[in-house]
Amino acid sequence: MDLNIDNLWAFEIFGIEVWITRTIFNTWLIMLFLIAFAIFVRIRLCKFKEIPSGFQNAIEAAIEMFDRFFYQNIGDKLEPLGTWFFTVFTLILASNLSGLLGLRPPTADWATTFAFAISTFGLIHFLGIKYKKGSYIKGFFEPHPVFLPLNLIGELALPVSLSFRMFGNVLSGMILMTLFYSITPVFVRFVIPAFLHVYFDLFSGILQTYVFCILSLIFIRGAVD
Amino acid sequence: MQDPLAFIIAIAQISAAIAVLNGLLVTLGQGNVAAKAIESIARQPEAENSIRTTMFLGLAMVETSGIYGLLISIILLFANPLVNIYLQHIGG
Repeated sequence: MDLNIDNLWAFEIFGIEVWITRTIFNTWLIMLFLIAFAIFVRIRLCKFKEIPSGFQNAIEAAIEMFDRFFYQNIGDKLEPLGTWFFTVFTLILASNLSGLLGLRPPTADWATTFAFAISTFGLIHFLGIKYKKGSYIKGFFEPHPVFLPLNLIGELALPVSLSFRMFGNVLSGMILMTLFYSITPVFVRFVIPAFLHVYFDLFSGILQTYVFCILSLIFIRGAVD
Repeated sequence: MQDPLAFIIAIAQISAAIAVLNGLLVTLGQGNVAAKAIESIARQPEAENSIRTTMFLGLAMVETSGIYGLLISIILLFANPLVNIYLQHIGG
């Protein structure tokens, strides 16, 4: 793994230089894997059984677990958002766990996490205006119109804090693992890194994915209700 | 002070170390969260699951300020803007 994000390939579109960085390449790899897995699941489930067993059982359990988590936090009102958050959840989870395979995690690049956070930011304000209309805009002028700049700064701090949280966690784990592999002698690299990987990649990655999704859901519910 | 660049880099290293020191207070806060969660699990063992998820959420929220300090120190170490400013200054 590399600490810096290196540029793999550069080409020009209409005079603007476009860089294909390691982050973009790894994101495409993960997306390819997820799409292939989804198609595989769809083909396997063509032979749909009324009483699930084996593979179908595992898939249904995973979907039901996510459904329960989603409805607990947001209720029936925003049901179409479930598919969006399931996509975000699987993509972030696969990105965070890709460090286990020796890839540079795409979420260790601020651009990726900021893209996720800015989409949450857009959803909050779009849904807030859609469901509460005028009173949502009025919320910015409370308790007094003087507080408008403070409220706006508070809103703008949200995507920054949401993205820095995940970015910092994944990046720090990646830096520590890279330092461990580059500093220690060969005979220490057998069993000990496994424990470090369990903490920095598995535990931290899953926890940050969960926290990102649940914070997005809480903020969206706060804007809608 | 013979070499200003070395001075800038040395100051950046020291300030990176100071920025990571906010981990002290973050650890105190996280310990507080965990202690309170254990207390409430001991009082109400049947609510353990919801208390545990809320505790993890709280821990992640508390961790944010520690992450900010970490990011500041990483920026100071690996992507220090002051070095570029200095290089432009002597170049131009």
